[in-house]
Amino acid sequence: MDSRNIEFMFYGLASAWVILIGYGLTLLVRERKIDDELRRLRSLVEDRERK
Amino acid sequence: MRYFRHTYTILAKDLRAELRTKEALNASFSFALTILLLMSFAFDPTEEMTREFSGGLLWLVFAFAGVLILNRAFARELPNDCLDALLATPVPPSALFLGKALANMVLLLAVEAVCFPVFGIFYNIRWARQFWPLLLVVVLGTWGFTVVGTMFSALTVNIRLREVMLPLLLYTTMIPGLISAMQLTVHLIAGEPLSGALVWLRFLIGFDVIFTSLALALTETVLVG
Amino acid sequence: MRKTVITVMAVLGIALLLRNLHVILLELPDDAAQGPIYRIMFFHIPSWFTAGIALSLSLAASVMYLIKKDLRWDGMAVATTEVAVAFLTIGLVTGSIWGRVAWGIWWTWDARLTSAFVCWLLYVGYLVLRTAIDEPTQRARISAVLQIFAFADLPIVWYSIEWFRTQHPAPVLRGAGSIEGPMKAAVYANWPALMLIGAVFVMLRLRQESVKREIDSLRRTVHAL
Repeated sequence: MDSRNIEFMFYGLASAWVILIGYGLTLLVRERKIDDELRRLRSLVEDRERK
Repeated sequence: MRYFRHTYTILAKDLRAELRTKEALNASFSFALTILLLMSFAFDPTEEMTREFSGGLLWLVFAFAGVLILNRAFARELPNDCLDALLATPVPPSALFLGKALANMVLLLAVEAVCFPVFGIFYNIRWARQFWPLLLVVVLGTWGFTVVGTMFSALTVNIRLREVMLPLLLYTTMIPGLISAMQLTVHLIAGEPLSGALVWLRFLIGFDVIFTSLALALTETVLVG
Repeated sequence: MRKTVITVMAVLGIALLLRNLHVILLELPDDAAQGPIYRIMFFHIPSWFTAGIALSLSLAASVMYLIKKDLRWDGMAVATTEVAVAFLTIGLVTGSIWGRVAWGIWWTWDARLTSAFVCWLLYVGYLVLRTAIDEPTQRARISAVLQIFAFADLPIVWYSIEWFRTQHPAPVLRGAGSIEGPMKAAVYANWPALMLIGAVFVMLRLRQESVKREIDSLRRTVHAL
């Protein structure tokens, strides 16, 4: 029982960290995607305005 | 008084429209009977057991069949911009909502009126021992379901995946109402008097009052903006 | 300026979490009854507190949107709800793992757990609803109304399930007992750390919402040119 106890404690603590880090990563990935999209649209607008 | 006349006009219009084609009504009836049939395979109950979960079973049937009716409530106004036309009339949005909710309740009550005798026959249960209290509980429970359902029908009328979003949102929100209705129904079908389950009755009434007020207050925001 | 604030908060939050982890794992003794598994509580309990605060904020933001019609409030609503759902998930998962050891079961349908699950479902439904609506103003308005319904439902859900459970008692659980002294301090020490991380997430998400609004307007400009 005792080894299972410690094992599950680590699973529990790990799961909390995994969810936090996982969410943080999805935020960062999303951030990069929309920053790229923003840059693309801005240059597109500039091109069209120059014409 | 004009407010109630508006409500009645909408109620009558929706009922007339539905009775003309009976699409949602037929679908709802058939679906309810099919679920009752499937449940008999899932459980193979003895009479004692059936009485115990009768409330739960019946309200699940009503909830599933009810969504078929509720889906159409505002969706039927979409072709030919009927919804915009309705909103442009002098009918206040809350009266529009109330009329539709009442129409849905009448339709769902009709389905339930058929389900009870069928349930009694299929599962060999005498369900009418506390008939009048049972009728009260069914009306209160159906009203709660219809009010929240019509509200969410209005919420989801213009969005993608409407048929999926409505049940998803509706069932989670309805949990307290369904629990009370189920508890009361089990109690009454077992033949116990209503006085034994008053706490649930008070709860159901409270649920109905809170959500009816919220719905009436927020209808204009949802439909008009 | 904004980036500095976010970085400082993130660093502070992570530092606090790591320091607490040191205390949790190395300095505190095992619980007499449960053994080391109780250490999960240091994430489990503060997660619920953080989620609760985030949900209150998102309700306020939704109401503010309906009053002011400023899309920035809508951004705040979705940011806080998303972060709240993340912390709710942590609460449910850590609680389940703890329960497996402390109670011997992964899940039970007692009042607190069931209500927690319903809460999670309600707000996941909110997030799913948002993906189904493309037009920003409509999305903001509809989801704000849903937020009000969801928040109003929470206490009702809690009470109904609590009453339901007193009639059908849950399995006898070897209780968690009370925590005291340095352990209690550690729970309250982890809470600000998680709040800081949560605040960082909200601020990042908020910025993403405002960038999305700019992308929307740029798209319209490109279309017009």
